[in-house]
Amino acid sequence: MPHPVALAGVGFSFGDGALRRPVLRDLNLTVAAGEIVLLTGPSGSGKTTLLTLIGALRAMQEGRCQVLGQELHGAPESARVALRRRIGFIFQNHNLLAFLTARQNVAMSLELHPDFGDESKRMAAAGKVLEQVGLADFAEVVPAKLSGGQRQRVAVARALVASPGLILADEPTAALDRQSGHDVVHLMRDLAKKSGMPILLVTHDPRILDVADRIVSMEDGRIVG
Amino acid sequence: MSMWLPFRLAWRQLRAERARLFSAIAGVMFACVLVFMQLGFRSALFDSATALPQALHGELFLVHPLTTALFRPESFPRVRAYQTLALPDVSVAVPIYMAQGIWRNPVDGSHRAIQLIGFDTEAGAVSFPGLPPLISALKRPDTIAFDWKSRPEFGPVAALLAERGPFKVQIANREVEIVGTVALGASFGADGNAVMSETNFRRLVTERKAGNADLVALRLRPGADAAAVQQQLTALLPRDVRVVTHDELVAWERNYWETATPIGFIFAFGSLMGLVVGMVIVYQILFADIASHLAEYATLKAMGFSGGYLRLVVMGAAGILAGLGFVPGVLASIGLYDVVAKATLLPLRMDPNRGVLVAGLIFAMCAIAGLLAMRKLRDADPADMF
Repeated sequence: MPHPVALAGVGFSFGDGALRRPVLRDLNLTVAAGEIVLLTGPSGSGKTTLLTLIGALRAMQEGRCQVLGQELHGAPESARVALRRRIGFIFQNHNLLAFLTARQNVAMSLELHPDFGDESKRMAAAGKVLEQVGLADFAEVVPAKLSGGQRQRVAVARALVASPGLILADEPTAALDRQSGHDVVHLMRDLAKKSGMPILLVTHDPRILDVADRIVSMEDGRIVG
Repeated sequence: MSMWLPFRLAWRQLRAERARLFSAIAGVMFACVLVFMQLGFRSALFDSATALPQALHGELFLVHPLTTALFRPESFPRVRAYQTLALPDVSVAVPIYMAQGIWRNPVDGSHRAIQLIGFDTEAGAVSFPGLPPLISALKRPDTIAFDWKSRPEFGPVAALLAERGPFKVQIANREVEIVGTVALGASFGADGNAVMSETNFRRLVTERKAGNADLVALRLRPGADAAAVQQQLTALLPRDVRVVTHDELVAWERNYWETATPIGFIFAFGSLMGLVVGMVIVYQILFADIASHLAEYATLKAMGFSGGYLRLVVMGAAGILAGLGFVPGVLASIGLYDVVAKATLLPLRMDPNRGVLVAGLIFAMCAIAGLLAMRKLRDADPADMF
């Protein structure tokens, strides 16, 4: 079985002509099934750009990038949108819709899923995942009434509910205090390990390095270790 | 994925911001009322302007080819009316005379021009509501029937009649007796109307040639082919009259107001302004909703929601605002029509066709606002989210 994420010779630059600024150079990386990989490195090292390429949020420029069996080099927008539905995203900010309850926010993910055609199924599945992240009692609460850690746990539930093949997270703990941050990443790890989902997590936060199976460091658009 | 889900998301989003939602609904309602009033006035104008030709009974009419509107007709020899009787299919020909006279208000003595309409009241070719019981009274010298739907500046004639019975007023410096009222309606061409017999008309309007008529109504024998008679008469009569059907006469009058005056354009322009203002308001609201949710929209895109889904959310919101603004808008307009109709005596009322037209315009207005606001969705770029 191929790796969920397999990158070979990936290069990426911003700008054109004299202003062209390469941010990724000849980069190779694989993430195995069920593996939790932490991506660290100084600001500007290209971690985030790499994550947007793997998440099919940006068009590829050079190299090969296979994610969940989909080759992204030259992939049309429609193929990228379809791939995104199989990836769970967790952002630095929770980006929950303020006018929906926690459960409705989580259920939004399932609207795209053919197995969840009716509302009762979606709401039931969302409730179950919220229970797993320890928010059973907060399912009908709007994000404004939750703490930062609770909101990020709702975001984790939203990313996980559709059983994605891969989790991509960008500094999920940056806006959280030590304890909440610790809880959120451990929760992610436990849930991912249970279902064999690989996680690629970009972080600066040294407090959460212990959840990783492998730590990859980047510098100047290259993997250095 | 059903269409229902983005629509529901749009509603939930609108509902969350009450103040914004109500200002948007007020904007749509404002546009709706404005358009209804403009179109209502426009149609009331045309209805009232054609009240006189509408009230005339007759299959065919003779008018002077240069008559632009019935409130200022060109006259032609009355003998044309009798010439038409040469055709066996024409049973009655009734000349109608029209002129403006100065009316003296019976209460305060102020002066105002009133339209005088004279014809053979017994011929049955012209009938206004209320006229039949007055026919014998109108045969007496110097009697008139007053149009109670005339503008109030002519005085409280109907009330005075009810109070003291027939009484005398002054028209064109002659004393005449009002024997009753008919219903015709003020129009933009005539503030009020007085109906009388041919002979009494002559008594009031002395400066014109007795042998000239302004309009002739023709009644045909039952079963006669109006179009064929029209052709025959056109061929037989001199070029100083035109033979028109009832519909053509009404259309002629209407056409004058539509094309020869800026009135039709003014109301269309007023409606357009209402729609533009409404569109700007709806656009602002939709734009603000997108702009304040850019991060969330970008997240939805990252999660795999297509641009089409988000565009449907915006159009759904536009559609909801159109519906929520239209319903109170149409109710307010019905109420306003009533108030304005009482104040102006113009025939202003809600018409189902106009309701459908305005609904279409309001939805189109919101759709255009939605299409413009949608461009802001491009700024929701999931690649910026990390």
